[in-house]
Amino acid sequence: MSGSGVRGVEPSDRALERLREVVQWPDLAGTRYELVGEVARGGMGVVYRARDRELERDVALKVIALEAADGSTAERLRREARTIARLEHPGIVPVHDVGTLPDGRVFYAMKLVSGRRLDELLRSGLPLRERLRLLLRIAEPVAFAHAHGVIHRDLKPENVMVGPFGEVLVMDWGVAKDRDQPAAPGGSTPAEVPGATAHGTIVGTPAYMSPEQARGDVEHVDARSDVYALGAILYFMLVGRAPGPASASPDAVTRTWVGPRTGSPRLQPPREIDPELPRPLEAIGLKALAAEPAARYPGVAELSADVARFLEGEPVLAYPEGLAERALRLATRYRTPILLVLAYVVMRVALLLVARV
Amino acid sequence: MNKPLVGLIVGGVVGAFDGLSALVSAPEVAPQIATIVVGSTFKGVVVGLIAGFFARKVRSLALGIAVGLAAGLLFAYLVALSPDPATGKHYYWEIMLPGSLAGAIVGYATQRYGRRPDEARA
Amino acid sequence: MAFPNTRRSLVLAVQSEDAQERARALEAVAVAYWRPVFRHLRFRFGARDEEAEDLAQGFFAAALEKGWLARYEPARGRFRSYLLACLQAYVANERRAGRRLKRGGGAATVPIDGVDADGEPSELPLAAATDLEAEFQREWVLGLLALAVRKLRERCAGTSRELALVLFERYDLEDCEPSERPRYQDLAREFDVPVTQVTNHLHWARQRLREILLETLRETTASEEEFRSEARALFGSEPS
Repeated sequence: MSGSGVRGVEPSDRALERLREVVQWPDLAGTRYELVGEVARGGMGVVYRARDRELERDVALKVIALEAADGSTAERLRREARTIARLEHPGIVPVHDVGTLPDGRVFYAMKLVSGRRLDELLRSGLPLRERLRLLLRIAEPVAFAHAHGVIHRDLKPENVMVGPFGEVLVMDWGVAKDRDQPAAPGGSTPAEVPGATAHGTIVGTPAYMSPEQARGDVEHVDARSDVYALGAILYFMLVGRAPGPASASPDAVTRTWVGPRTGSPRLQPPREIDPELPRPLEAIGLKALAAEPAARYPGVAELSADVARFLEGEPVLAYPEGLAERALRLATRYRTPILLVLAYVVMRVALLLVARV
Repeated sequence: MNKPLVGLIVGGVVGAFDGLSALVSAPEVAPQIATIVVGSTFKGVVVGLIAGFFARKVRSLALGIAVGLAAGLLFAYLVALSPDPATGKHYYWEIMLPGSLAGAIVGYATQRYGRRPDEARA
Repeated sequence: MAFPNTRRSLVLAVQSEDAQERARALEAVAVAYWRPVFRHLRFRFGARDEEAEDLAQGFFAAALEKGWLARYEPARGRFRSYLLACLQAYVANERRAGRRLKRGGGAATVPIDGVDADGEPSELPLAAATDLEAEFQREWVLGLLALAVRKLRERCAGTSRELALVLFERYDLEDCEPSERPRYQDLAREFDVPVTQVTNHLHWARQRLREILLETLRETTASEEEFRSEARALFGSEPS
C-alpha cells in the first residue's frame, strides 16, 4: 500500500484550524465515546461533543483541562457531576456518566444541549412579556436547586440555554455550593467562588455576581446571591446590558473595587436608560439587585411571584402603587369589560337623547 | 362554579339591570317597569346560559363576546316584536341595541370566569 | 515523553559565532516562520503569491545580512513578537523604497481565503494593530501544524505505520464540513480493518503529531518558559 492515499498537498486552512483543536483533544480510546468536536471552553475544562457508541446518541463531555489535572480539580469536577446528577429537573442538564479518561483526566458526560444561549437570544430581540416569561422559566430550576440545598453561584445569560420550544436549561454548575457535598477540608476557598481573588479586584464577569460573592465573603453567600444574579439577568432583559454604573460600556465585563468593602458602585436604574419601562418592573429588578442580601427577595420563588404578578396586571410587592397608578393599572387590566359597560351606558344615554329629539 | 352557572347568574343580573335602565332612555314605560324587568331578567338568563355553554366548548374571548352579543340581539329582537300594550309602539332600537351590548358583557363574563369541565378543581 | 531536550534552540543558534551554524539555523527559522511572514507580506502589499515569496525571501535575507535575529534578546519577550516587529520595520522600509502598499494596506486588515473581484486577496478590516499580532500568531500556529504534518508524512511513508497515516489523512486532514466527515465505521469498512484499529491508528498518528509539534516548538522558542507558555497556548495544557 505504499504511496496510496498519501497526499503531498498542504492541508487547507480549514483543515489546519480543525487540526489545531484535534491536537488538544483528549484520548477516548477504551471508552464508549467517540470524539466529534469541541463545543465550549469553561473555567475548569473543555466541553466536547462525543458519540456514545452504546446508546448511539451524541452527548457532551466535560473534561478537565490538562493544566488543572491535579487532585483537587478532579475531585471538584466529580462533585460538580454528582451535584447536577442529584438535581433531576427539566431545567437542569442531566448527567449520564462520570469517569476517568485513559490519560488520567476526569470527565463527565451530560446531555448535549441544542438551542441558543440566552444572551444571544435576547440580543436578537424579544417582546418584553416573552422575556419575562423566560425569566420565570429560568427561575424554576434555580428554585428547585435551592430546595435541594444547592446554590448555583454563577448564574448569567451565558449559562442559560433556550431550546427551540422555549424550554430552558441552566448550565455550568461548576462552582455551585452543595450542602450535601461539603468542600474539601479547609472550606471552599475564595478561589472557588467565581472571580474573587484576595486583593479585592475582580476579573471575569462580575456584573452578575452579588457583592458578597465578589468580596469573596463565602460565609454569606446563600440563595439570595442567586436572587441577585436573577435580578441581574432581569436587568439585562430590560436594558440590554449587565447592571453597572452609567459609565459602563455596553460590553462591560469587569468591575473593580478598590480595597475591600467600599460598597458596590451605584447601579444605573433601568428607567434612566429606558424611560418607557414600567415602574413596577424596575422596582422588582432593583429589589433583587439590592446590595444587602436582607433587602432582596428572600428567595427565588418570591422574585418569580412578583414578576408573575406584574404579568397578570396585579400589584407588585416591590412597588407600592399610588392611587392614580392603581386606577390606571386596573383600567388596563379590565379594559375589555370596562369598554363594554361604557358602550352600554353610552348607548342608553344616546337612546334617551334621540328620543328627546 | 361552572361556566353555564356564571352565565345564568351574570345574565340574570345584567338582564335585570338592563330592564331597569329602560327608565333612563324611555321614561314613559315606567308603569310597565315590573314586567319589563322580569322579562329582561329572563332574557338575560337565557342568553347567559347560551353563552355559558358556548364558553364550555370554545375558549376564545372574542368569540364568546360575539356569541353573547348575537344571542342578546336575537332575544331582544324577539321581545321587541311585541309592541307596547299601552301605546302600540315598537321599541326595536331601544331594546335591541342595549340588549346586544348586555349580551356582549355576559359573553365576556362567561369566557373570563367559571370553570370549564376539563379544568381540575383548584 | 520525558526525555531531556537535546535539541538546541534554533533561535539561539542563530546568534552563534559559527557562520555556518548561523546560516543553517536561519534557514530552519525561515522554514518555521515562512507561513506567517509570507501571508503578512502578501496582504500588506496586496501582492501575488510570487511577489510575496520574493518579499519574504528578501526579508529573511535582510534579517541574515543585517543580523536582526542575532540581536534578539529572550528577556525582552517572545521571539515571534520580535520577528513581527522586524517584519513591520521591513515593510516600512520597502514602502519608503517606493513599493506600493495595497489599498488600505496601511490599515490593519486580515486576509481571508479567496479573492475578490479584482483577483486581489479578500480582506476584512480589523480594529487595531493588536489584531495583526493575533493574526501573525494564528498563521504561525497553522504553519507549525502544516510543518508537523509534513514531517509526519516523511516519517511514516513506506513504513509499517503507513496505514495510520492514511487514516489520519482521511479523517483529520480532510477538508470538509463536520457533518460530511466519515465515521470510524465507514473508514473501517473502507480499509477492511476493525473499528478498534481505526481508533488506535488515529490515536497513534495524533500522538506522533503532538510529539513533532513539541519538538518543533522547542526549536523555535528561546527559553524553557517561552516553550511552556507556547505549548500551553497550543495544546491548552502543559507538556509533560
